Amino acid sequence: MIEITDIEKIYKMGGETVRALDKVSLKIQEGEFTSIMGPSGSGKSTLMNILGLLDRFDNGRYLLNGTDVSDLSDAELAGIRNKEIGFVFQSFNLMARMNVLENVMLPLVYGKVPYKERRRRATEALEKVGLGNRLEHLTNEISGGQKQRVAIARAIVNEPSVLMADEPTGNLDSKTTEDIMRIFQELNEEGTTIVMVTHEPEMAEYTKRIVHFRDGVMKKDEQLTPKQIPKREVE
Amino acid sequence: MFIKENLKMAIDSIFANKMRSFLTMLGIIIGIASVIAILAVGNGAADEITRTFSDIGATTISLNANDPEQSGDLISNEDLNVLRDSIDEIRYISPNETTSGNISSVDESRQAVISYGTPDLQFVSQSMSSTLVEGRYFNQVDFDESQDVIVIDEDGAEALFGTTDVIGETLRVTVAQSQMNLRIVGVVEGSFGDMQGAFDTSQIPLFAAMPQSTLGNQVPQMAGMDTVSIEVESTDQIDTVSSQVVRLLELRNNAVGDNVYNATNFLQALDQVNNVLSLFINFIAAVAAIALLVGGIGVMNIMLVSVTERTREIGTRKALGATTRTILVQFLMESIILSLIGGMIGLTLGIILSNIIAGALDIVPIITLGSVALVLLFSTAVGVFFGIYPARKAARLNPIDALRYE
Repeated sequence: MIEITDIEKIYKMGGETVRALDKVSLKIQEGEFTSIMGPSGSGKSTLMNILGLLDRFDNGRYLLNGTDVSDLSDAELAGIRNKEIGFVFQSFNLMARMNVLENVMLPLVYGKVPYKERRRRATEALEKVGLGNRLEHLTNEISGGQKQRVAIARAIVNEPSVLMADEPTGNLDSKTTEDIMRIFQELNEEGTTIVMVTHEPEMAEYTKRIVHFRDGVMKKDEQLTPKQIPKREVE
Repeated sequence: MFIKENLKMAIDSIFANKMRSFLTMLGIIIGIASVIAILAVGNGAADEITRTFSDIGATTISLNANDPEQSGDLISNEDLNVLRDSIDEIRYISPNETTSGNISSVDESRQAVISYGTPDLQFVSQSMSSTLVEGRYFNQVDFDESQDVIVIDEDGAEALFGTTDVIGETLRVTVAQSQMNLRIVGVVEGSFGDMQGAFDTSQIPLFAAMPQSTLGNQVPQMAGMDTVSIEVESTDQIDTVSSQVVRLLELRNNAVGDNVYNATNFLQALDQVNNVLSLFINFIAAVAAIALLVGGIGVMNIMLVSVTERTREIGTRKALGATTRTILVQFLMESIILSLIGGMIGLTLGIILSNIIAGALDIVPIITLGSVALVLLFSTAVGVFFGIYPARKAARLNPIDALRYE
C-alpha cells in the first residue's frame, strides 16, 4: 500500500547541503505494524512527514495505494491526509477549547460528514480506545494517557489506510505507555496498518517490523515477533 | 467546511480570551457608537430644522425688488392689488418690512422691532405670532385710512403696562425721529414663552406691527416697498406662483428681463441650511470613521498574535485534512465575528448615546434602518479588510513548520 522508491530530501543550510534522506526505498504492506527507528537526525521524522504527506520530497517516487502523490496539489494532499492517513503526535496536539468528542469529530468536519454521522463515528472511535465515558470532558480535564487515546480515536475515526504515530509515547510514563502500545496492537490485530517513529528500542519491540535509520540511510530491516503486553484493565 | 462549525469555532475563540477580545473591539465599539450617535443626532437636528422652517414658511415666497438705479417705489400698492386679484393661489400678500424704533407707555420706554405692511402682514410676519389674545389685528379700513393703530405682543404689553389688558391704551412710537401716538387695537401671543424668567429680557427689543400707510405718512422713506411676502396654499404652488409674480411685475413696470424682481422661498434657504448641516455631519462622521480605522488595525494586530499563538493548532488542523481555504475561512470568520460583535455593541451604545445627546438638545434622534445596515456592513468590511492578511498568513503556513513550531 505504501511504496517509496529512491526518495531524497535535501536541505540547504547556509552553504551546506544536508541529505536528510538519501535514496530511501521502502514497501509497507497492508496490515503491517512497522516501527522506524534511529537516533535524532537520522531522517526518521523526515521520512514520516513525507509518508504522511505533510512534507514534499526532492527526488524519487511515492505510491500510496497505487497513486503517485508527487504531483498532487496542496488541496488534494489535504484531502488524502484527511481520508487515508491518521496522525498521532508526541504532544497529542488536541484542540484546547474543544471537548473530547469535538476533537475526535474534527477530521470528519473537514471531510464534510454530516453532524449526526460525525457524532456516531466519533463516539464509536472513542469507545474503541476506552473513552466512551469521557465524551464531554475538556481536553485539559483528562490525563496525558487519556489525551493520547483521544488523539488515537481522532486518528482512526475516518478509518484511514494507515496510522502514523510520531514518538506517541514520548510524553508518557511507562504504565500509560503500555496502555497506548496495547491499543496500537489491538488496532493492528483488527487490520489497521501502523507506522510508528521512535528512538526507543523498547517501543519498537512491540511492533512486527523494525526499519533502522542512520544519517538519512536505511541500515537494517528486520521482522520480529511483537512483545506481548499482559492484559490489564484500563482506567 | 460547514458555516456552523466555523461560526462556533470563531465564537469559542473570541470568548476564550474575553478581555483581549473586548479591548480589541473597543476601537470598533467607539467608532461605530460615535458614527451612529452623530448620524442620529444630526438627522434629528435636520428634521427639527425642516419642521421649524415648514411651520414658518414652507408656503411663503419672499419677493425682493432691487434696482441699483432706482430705489423705493419699485412695488406699488396697486401692484399688490393686481397680484392678489389675478393670481388665485395667493392667500396673503403683504409688504414685510421691519424697522427699529422706540415704543413707550407712560411709565416705560423700550427698543422695538416694528413690522409694517398690509393687514395680511399678520399671516406672513415671522417676527410676531398671528394668534390674537386680545382685541384685533389692524384691518383694511385702518390701512386705507392710515389709522393710528398698533398691535403688540403679550411680552410687550407686560413690559410696558404690566398687564395684557391694554386695548385702547396709547403708545408713543418713535421711528427715525418721527413721533406718533398710536392706539393699541390688539395683542398677539408672546414669543419669549419659556425664556421668560430664564434670563433678563429687559434688553431684548419688543415686537410691534402697524399699517405701512400710517408709518409712511410720518416717515416718507418707509412708504416704498421692496420686500413683499406672499403666502400660497401649498408648497407645490411655490415655483409657479413665483414665476407668475415676477413676470407680472416686470410687465407692469416695464422691467422685463432687467432682473429687478426676485422671488425666493424658504425651501431654497432650507436646502442651503441642510446642505451645510449635512456637510458638517459628514465631516464629523468621517472623523469618527478614523476611530473605526484604528479599531480595524487593532483587529489585525490581535489576529496576527492569534495566528502566531495557534501555529501548532493550524499545523494539526492541516494534518487532519484542513485545506488552505478552510483555514483562511476560519480565521477570516473570526475577525469578521469579532468586528461584527464590536459593531453591534457599538450600535447599542450609539443608540443610547444619541438618545442622551438628543434629549439634552431637545430633539428627536433619528436612527434609520439604512444607518444600522451601513454600520453592520461597515464592521463586516473592517473584519474582512483587516482580517484577510492574518488569515492568509495562517492559511499559507507549511504544515510541517507549523507542527514543529514551539
